[in-house]
Amino acid sequence: MSLSVLPSLLFFVLGLVYTTATVMLPDASIGRAYEPKIFPFMLGFILLVLSLGLIARELKEVRGKNEKESAPPFYKESGFNKILMTCVFAVLYALIFNKAGYVISTIIFLELELILFNGKENWKVNTAVALVFSLFIYIIFSKVLGVFLPLTPGLWI
Amino acid sequence: MDTLGFLLDGFMVALTPANLMWVTIGGLLGTIIGMLPGLGPATGVAVLLPLTFSMGPTAALITMGGVYYGAMFGGSRASILINTPGDGAAVAATFDGYPMTQQGRAESALAISAISSFFGGIFATVCMVAIAIPVARFALKFGPAEYFMLFLFALSATAAMSEGNRLKGFIATIFGLMIATIGIDGQSGVIRFSMGILELQSGIDFLIIIIAVYALGEVFKSFKNIDSGKAKVQTNFGKIWISMEDWKRSVWPILRSAPLGFFVGALPGAGGTMASLMAYNNEKQLSKHPEEFGEGAIEGLAAPESANNAASVGAMIPMLTLGIPGSGTTAVMMGALLLLGQQPGPMLFQQQPLIVWGLIASMFIGNIILAVINIPLAGVLVRVLSVPPKILYPIVLGLSFVGAYAISYSVMDFYILVIFGLVGYFMSKAKFPTTPMILAVIVGNNMEQSFRRAYKIADGDVGIFFGSPICLILFTLTIISIFYPLLRGYFIKRKAGKA
Repeated sequence: MSLSVLPSLLFFVLGLVYTTATVMLPDASIGRAYEPKIFPFMLGFILLVLSLGLIARELKEVRGKNEKESAPPFYKESGFNKILMTCVFAVLYALIFNKAGYVISTIIFLELELILFNGKENWKVNTAVALVFSLFIYIIFSKVLGVFLPLTPGLWI
Repeated sequence: MDTLGFLLDGFMVALTPANLMWVTIGGLLGTIIGMLPGLGPATGVAVLLPLTFSMGPTAALITMGGVYYGAMFGGSRASILINTPGDGAAVAATFDGYPMTQQGRAESALAISAISSFFGGIFATVCMVAIAIPVARFALKFGPAEYFMLFLFALSATAAMSEGNRLKGFIATIFGLMIATIGIDGQSGVIRFSMGILELQSGIDFLIIIIAVYALGEVFKSFKNIDSGKAKVQTNFGKIWISMEDWKRSVWPILRSAPLGFFVGALPGAGGTMASLMAYNNEKQLSKHPEEFGEGAIEGLAAPESANNAASVGAMIPMLTLGIPGSGTTAVMMGALLLLGQQPGPMLFQQQPLIVWGLIASMFIGNIILAVINIPLAGVLVRVLSVPPKILYPIVLGLSFVGAYAISYSVMDFYILVIFGLVGYFMSKAKFPTTPMILAVIVGNNMEQSFRRAYKIADGDVGIFFGSPICLILFTLTIISIFYPLLRGYFIKRKAGKA
């Protein structure tokens, strides 16, 4: 099966899951019992109809097209690995954010990102950018704008 | 006349030293973000949103207004100098702007772009002053049923504008509305679609989704080209100004394109990209030398620049007067207004006139300040373009995360940010437009509440949605917006068949 049908198929599945979840919602204890379900039910139903229409259109297009014409799938594109790595770094960032504090965790996250893009060999530039950005944002947000950012244990920042 | 009185009050607010400083800072930062390839005004406002958290609503809106125009100015700098538009609205500036740079006429290109943007912006602001109050007054007649139909029209018009991908546009809209239904239902207290996750019971903050799609998603898309090395940018310029001959060629295109841009911008979903492309094609058709278009014709740069700035002001009208954002960027600004506890719509004009008129007055001031910044300081500002994206994009990522944290003080939002960043990226890859989804996420809750209120008032009779002339007109407009492209396609085919 061609990859181009996948998104419409996913939306169809989403429509199914969402509509089922809507039907299973508890009744409202005030007003009409079914009222919280009306709007979501309409959405689920419309999504099912639209995604079926799209699946039909995509299948028709796939048949009419030569295999050679199709572009390489997204996961083979350059840069896709970097997106995945960025997501991994972001999860790591989230895990250490409260424990290590804003400045330290941001320096680590940016250093990793900069190594990914700018290369290990430019470590001096990378470290300088990570340090300056983290401290600058900390001072602007925490000290000037009064936005709370978690502190690093044992340090004044 | 009360409009002038309000406007004067607005100027009193906008001209305070603090607000002048904010509009300048917003404009400068916006210009820098707008210059980054792939990142436009919506990303600029989304990423710089946290700057406004400690401000009052007026200063916050004024700052965001500055970021908005700044990013529009910045987007065209990148189009003209390195042929990489910041966003869709700046694409038309590459057609003749970049050839002008190649011919050694970068100075004229930068100057005419700033001058036309300035004129477009000022013209549109004057129009806005004239029509904002009548529109807001008219909107006061709207009840819940009318509002529901208005949301329906705005969303379907936005989805239908997704050129060539209308079906996908509608799917993206429904997806956005679905996201808006997550969390506790305001009217019955029933918890919906939270999947047992405690943090989802209060719903997903739409600002997080905006930052995810417009900042993370856009940066993800740019990863593909991140290694293409830094572009060679001209940073030494002669006098940035235009000759009399250039001015004569540009003045009418600028004046013609501003009203066009304003009108297109005020329509839901159309926005700056369509306005600038329409203005470009319009001028090409009217020109005595259409063959020069694309080869560095100055009017081919002046027209779209005037139109897209006028459109950016026009897009504010439905957002401020009706509470319906007309573009991605105004959606972000509306999100920020809601965060500050202000509900955009006709009541805002009555209850908080200083906020609205302070913003309108700051549009005049912001346009002047940006023209001043962008003409003499162009040489300094464009040096940003010579900083490699390899360093700038990680910084944009860093800003996105701190922005998300500052909205809710919860690390849970980092995960939501990553998930929706990926959703935005994959949607773009699969050619699903993301703007209709964002608009739907923002208006979804209000749309459902209007629906439910009307349903309650009519005691379950859906006839209420067709019960008033306003409802019927909006319903007709919705149908037209859905079927017009189909009909147009049919007539074009028929015409081609006859020819």
